[in-house]
Formats: sequence, structure tokens, C-alpha cells
Amino acid sequence: MLPLIFAVLAKGDGDLLARLQKRDPEALAELYDRYGRMVYGLILRMVQDRGIAEDLVQETFLRVWNRAAGFDSDRGAVGPWLLAVARNRAIDYLRYHGRRCESSLDLNETEHPAPFAALQTGALRFDIIKLVKDALARLNPQQREAIELAYFEGMSQTEIAERMGQPLGTVKTWMRRALQQMRDELGGSATA
Amino acid sequence: MTCDELRPDYILFAMGVLEEPEKSELRAHLDRGCENCTPGMHEARAWVYAMGAAQEGPEPPKSLRSRVLAAAGAAPDRRWHWSIAWVAASVVALVAIAVTVYQTQRHDAEIAALRDQLTRSGVEVAGLREIVTLLQAPETREVTFGQGRPAPARGRVFLHPYGVLLFASNLPAPPAGKAYEMWIIPKSGAPAPAGLFASTAQGNAVHFYRSPVSMDTTGAVAVTLEDAAGVAAPTTQPVIVAPL
Repeated sequence: MLPLIFAVLAKGDGDLLARLQKRDPEALAELYDRYGRMVYGLILRMVQDRGIAEDLVQETFLRVWNRAAGFDSDRGAVGPWLLAVARNRAIDYLRYHGRRCESSLDLNETEHPAPFAALQTGALRFDIIKLVKDALARLNPQQREAIELAYFEGMSQTEIAERMGQPLGTVKTWMRRALQQMRDELGGSATA
Repeated sequence: MTCDELRPDYILFAMGVLEEPEKSELRAHLDRGCENCTPGMHEARAWVYAMGAAQEGPEPPKSLRSRVLAAAGAAPDRRWHWSIAWVAASVVALVAIAVTVYQTQRHDAEIAALRDQLTRSGVEVAGLREIVTLLQAPETREVTFGQGRPAPARGRVFLHPYGVLLFASNLPAPPAGKAYEMWIIPKSGAPAPAGLFASTAQGNAVHFYRSPVSMDTTGAVAVTLEDAAGVAAPTTQPVIVAPL
């Protein structure tokens, strides 16, 4: 059974990416089956509206489908890239509909496929996901709120300080301590 | 700025929210291939996207899959399959025979090469750690199936909020053009596809579905034999049903 387990573990996104680049319709279906729920969960968490979340999920998969050719890797992690595109679609929606102020977040930069080519599918290993989730849960409420505003709303530290009614220096200190605490707890897990 | 000064900012940079002047400083380090900041950013990106993957929520509506595929013009054209099915089946059968002969001859050498490869690779170790974590997690639910019947597929399913791991034996290798498809069956509602897999000639199979799964609303995990391309809804009777 062990070789079978290894074969399963080795089955990453590389083949899927190659098929997406060849415009294989079944690859898109497989991509959706693999990540659709994850993408929907993230977007719904951000926009808090099921109908809008469905529209943005569609936009996300279309964007990846149309840009897969630019993903220059034979083993890159499509999942993290897909989630980056999903997050940006949701932030773009929140910005456009005035539910938050403009920030310095560069959507094009954060969803460019190049940085994801260096990540392997293991970046989305569930044990890493669980570690990150647990580490976030252990932050104190202010630290967690600041990190979540940065991630789920794409806010800069200046914007977070305004939202939380705190001096910028205080927010920076909270976030640095929070991120250092997470680094200490996670160690090298994500790249192991 | 030094790498040590920039290290706390890796995650903010990966989120795209780092402000100036740190943003330009860190970008300059990355542009010149800084040996400290580059691997640090890989790690930070993995953490950032794990944050996004950790969201638990309801299942997307069933219709969304079709909608996404149709919008991309990627809805599978079944007529194509029928028109060349006999050619595909013949080719697959010939390839299978050739591969079987080849594999028999190369079996020992391949095993040795595989062992060597596995020894050198750290990827499998990380993957095994993932599986061990799943098996040991207190929230993991274990279900056996196929017990006490004449010759059923037997095995175990491990359900965790972030995935489903299936071990099966006595599961015949699927015929050419077919594959096993796993389904997450909610207590109410339609089954959701959870990936394709095959069993070996010896009837063994392992399938790992890495995706959030609701522990509360899932009623069963099932497996059906379907077209190798997969289907959106089961079309055959299940060969495995593991009620939770």
C-alpha cells in the first residue's frame, strides 16, 4: 500500500496546469472539483453574500483559465495562485462597492502567476492549513483583527490603524508581534 | 534595510499590503535574488494562502460548477466521446497490454529506482507527515466499509475538516476508459464529486481528496465507477458506501 500512498502524495497540480495551458476543458472541471469549495468559502467569507460570491467564483476560474498560459512552471502550485486571484476578486468587489477605502494593495502584483511557480502543491497541505488556522486562533483579539483586516480586506497598516482607531505605531507593533508569534509557532512547516 | 529588519514584513508583502519604504526595500532584496529574503518569501506566501484555504463555509451550489464551465466554454462535449469511443478503447487496450509487458520486465529495476528516488526526496516525507497528521487528529472520523459481505471492496475512510483519505482493497482495476470517482454525500442534497482514482491490478487503492469537507453535514462517502473524465453526478450504483 505504501507505493500507492506515495503515488497519491506525488499527484500535484503540475499535470493539471499543463492541461489547463492546453485549454483542456476537463482540466478546468477538475480544477473546480479540487478547489471550488475552497475558493467559494474564501470569497463568501469576504463578501458575505452568496449570490455575489457565486459571481466572483465564476470570475476567478475564468481568469485562471484565460491566464494559465502565463504560469511558467511544470510543477507550480495552481491552488495558491487560484486563491490569490479569488482574494483579489473579492477585494476588488469590496473596493468598488465602497465597503472599504482605497488601499495601496496592488491587485495585479499579488496575483501575478510568477511567484506561485516556486510554490509546490504542498503549500496547501491540510496540516499546514491547520497549523496556520490554529496559530491565528491563538493571537490576541486585536492582533487577529489587524491580520484579518490585512488579509480579508486588503488593508494597509495605515488603513487598519484608521479602522481600529489606534495610532499607526501601535498597529505596526501588534502586527509585527503577531507575525513573529506565528513564525515562531509555524517554524519551517510551510516549506518542509 | 537588512534582511533581519525586513523579515517581519514578509507576510505583509505576500498579502500585498506592505507600505513604503519597506515595500521597495524588500522588493529590491527580492529582485537581486537575496538568499535570505527569497526563501523567506516562499514560506510567507505559503502561509498567506493557507490562511485563505482555512475558511470553512457552506458548499457552493451544485449549479455553480456547470455555470463556471459554461462561461469558460469548457463544458465537456459528450458527442466527441461517443464518436471516437471505439478508437480510444482500442488504443487504451493496446497501450495497457504494452505497458503491462513492459512493466513486468522492468519491475525490479523500477522498484529499486523508486526506492532510491523516495529516499532522496523530501516531498514524500512532508506528504506522509500530512497523512499522519490527518490520521492522528482528534477531529478525524474513521469509518470502515465492506465488512461481512461476500466479496465487497473493503477498507477505511478517514474524514477530516480539510480532506478525506480512502484506503480500499478488493476493488477491481477499472476497465479502460473508466475510473473510480469518490463522492461526498451530504445528509441532504446532491453528492459532490471528490476526485478520480484507479485501483491496482491487485485491487488496492488509495485516494486523498484535499479539500474542505463539512463534518456536520456529510452523511456518507461513496465511490462509483464512471467515465475516466469524471462526471458531475453519479451515473452508476456505488461500489463503496461508507456511512458516517
